[in-house]
Amino acid sequence: MRPIGFSTGALAHADFRRGLAMTRAAGCPAVELSALRQPELFPMLDALDSLDLTGFQYISIHAPSQMTPEFEQAACERLLAERWRNWPIVIHPDAITAFALWRRFGSLLCVENMDKRKAIGRTARELNLIFQQLPEASLCFDIGHVRQVDPTMTESYLILRDHGARLRQVHISEVSTNNRHNRLSMLSIMAMPAAAHRIPADVPLIIESPVTQAEMADEIGRARRALPLEPVPLHEQGDARIDSCAVCHPGA
Amino acid sequence: MTASTALERLESQLNGNWAHLREARRRADEMQQRLLSEFAEFERDDSSIVVSGSLARGEFTAGSDIDWTLLIDGAADPWHAGLARRIAQKVKLIAAKDTGAEGTFGVMVFSHDLVHQIGGQDDTNQNTTRRLLLLLESRPAGRDDAYARVIRSILSRYLLEDRGFLRGSPFRVPRFLQNDFARYWRTIAVDFAYKLRDRSGKGWAIRSAKLRMSRKMIYVSSLLACYRCHLDHDAQTWKKLVDSDDGKSRIVEYFENIFRQTPLEITAGVLLQFPHLAGSAHKILGAYDEFLGLLADGRTREHLETLPEDDADRDPTYQKARQLSHRFRDGLLEFFFDKESGLDELTRNYGVF
Repeated sequence: MRPIGFSTGALAHADFRRGLAMTRAAGCPAVELSALRQPELFPMLDALDSLDLTGFQYISIHAPSQMTPEFEQAACERLLAERWRNWPIVIHPDAITAFALWRRFGSLLCVENMDKRKAIGRTARELNLIFQQLPEASLCFDIGHVRQVDPTMTESYLILRDHGARLRQVHISEVSTNNRHNRLSMLSIMAMPAAAHRIPADVPLIIESPVTQAEMADEIGRARRALPLEPVPLHEQGDARIDSCAVCHPGA
Repeated sequence: MTASTALERLESQLNGNWAHLREARRRADEMQQRLLSEFAEFERDDSSIVVSGSLARGEFTAGSDIDWTLLIDGAADPWHAGLARRIAQKVKLIAAKDTGAEGTFGVMVFSHDLVHQIGGQDDTNQNTTRRLLLLLESRPAGRDDAYARVIRSILSRYLLEDRGFLRGSPFRVPRFLQNDFARYWRTIAVDFAYKLRDRSGKGWAIRSAKLRMSRKMIYVSSLLACYRCHLDHDAQTWKKLVDSDDGKSRIVEYFENIFRQTPLEITAGVLLQFPHLAGSAHKILGAYDEFLGLLADGRTREHLETLPEDDADRDPTYQKARQLSHRFRDGLLEFFFDKESGLDELTRNYGVF
C-alpha cells in the first residue's frame, strides 16, 4: 500500500494546524507541512516541537514558492536548523536564486517539477539544468503539473526515465488550464496510470486537491486509482479503461 | 565545414555541392532568429506562434513569404484575436509578401479540432492541412509549450489508436498516420487543379513547379517518416517496445523526434542508411538544390509567378524547372522501388495499396 497523505496547504489555506488535524483525522500516514507564502514559514517552523506528529511515517516541508533574496538566505539557515529531523524540503526551482545555499541540504532538498506557467523546471530537459546545479537533490514528482504540461503523459515518462532515481515523493491532484489545483477527475484517473509503474510502492503520495474533511477518503480512493500498484496492461488502457471505470466507480 | 546534420553528412559523403540548400537553411535560421526576437513580447503558455512553409522547412529564399498561425491550446480568451492581429502587423513589416490567400495561415488555430477531428465530416480540408503541416513542416517561433502539447496529442491519436500498428502488422508502419499523409498529398494535387480554375491560371507555373518539387518532398518525407519505424526496429525489438510499460510514451517520443526534422533531413537520414542508393540521392537532392536555386533568383521566381499557362511549353525557365522535376521524380522512383533496401516492399504495401 502506498503511503498517502495530504498537503496541509491544500486542505486549509495558510493554516497548517488545521490541515494537519484534518490529515490526522483521515488516518493518513503521510503529511506535507506547507508554508507556500513567505510569512507562513517561520511560524510553522517555530511550532514544530509543539505539534503532535506521532503516527506519521512520512513528513515533508514545502518551502515558500516565492522568496526575496534576503528571505531566501534566512529561510535556508532556519530550515538547516531542522535538518536533524530528516524531513525532505520541497522547493519550486523558480523560487531558488542562490543555488549554493540549497546545495547544503543534499538529497533532503526535493525539487518539484513545475506547471506550465513557469519558465523552468517543467520538463525532463529543464529539470536536468536544475539538477546540474543541485546534483544531490531529490525529486518531488508532481503528476498534476506534468499532465498539465503534456496531457499525453509522454513528458511524465521522460521525467521519470531521466530523473526517476531521485524520486522522493509524489504530488497528486488535477491542475487546471488556469493552474488551479482541483480534485482528481475521471480524465486524470484515466491518464495517470501510465506513470504508475515507475513510482515504487513505498514512495509517498501527497494529495494537493482542495477537499473538505468529508471528501478526503474519496480523494484518497481516486489517488489510488490514478496511481495503482498493479500495472494496467496496454490493451486495457485508453477507451477500454473508461468503460471499466464507469462501471466499477459510478459517479467518480 | 563540419557535417553535423544528416543532409550535411550526405552532401559530404557524396562529394556533392548543394550550395543552394545550405544558403536556404542559413536564411531560414537567420529569419527564425529575427522572429524569435520580434515575437518575444507575445509569448504565452497557452499559445505558440508557429511558422510553416519554406521557413519551417529550412528552404527560405529571398522571395519566400512567412506562413504563420497562432496555435491556441488553452482557455478561450477574447484577447487572442488582438494578439493575432499584432502578429500579422509585425509579419507584414518583415515578410517579402503577404501570407497565402486560402486563410489557412495568418490566423488563430485552435488545438481541439486538430486533435479530435481526424477523419469524418468535420475534418475539413483546412483542418487536415493545418494538422499535417504541423507535423511535417512547422517550427515554433518562441515559447513552444502549446506547440509541443498539440504535436504530442496529435501523434498519440494517430499512433496509439492504430491497433494494427501496435499489435498485428508484420510491417512496423503506422498506417492510420500514413493514410492521412497519402490523403493530404492527393488533396494538394486535386487543389492544384481547383486553384488553376479558381484563379484563372494566375500563378500556375510557380505552383506547378512547387507541386512537383517542394510539395512532393513533403509527401516523400512523410512516407519515409512512417517507414523509418520499420527500418529502425526488427520484429523482436518492436514487440519488446510495444509490450514495455512505457511503450506508448516511447513510441510517441520516437515519432516526435523524427518530425522535429525538416523534410530534407528526414529524407537525407534514410538515404544515408543505404550507400548503394548514392546515384538516386544525387538525383533527388541535386535536382532539389537546383530548384531552390531557381526560386532564390528573384527574376526567375517572378517570371514563374507571372508566366501564363499557355506559354509554358515554349518557356525555357519553366522547361528547366520541369526537367529538374523529372530528375527528382526519377531519383525518387529508384529510391522508393529499391529492392535491396526493402523500400520496394514497403512502397508496394503502403505507397500503392
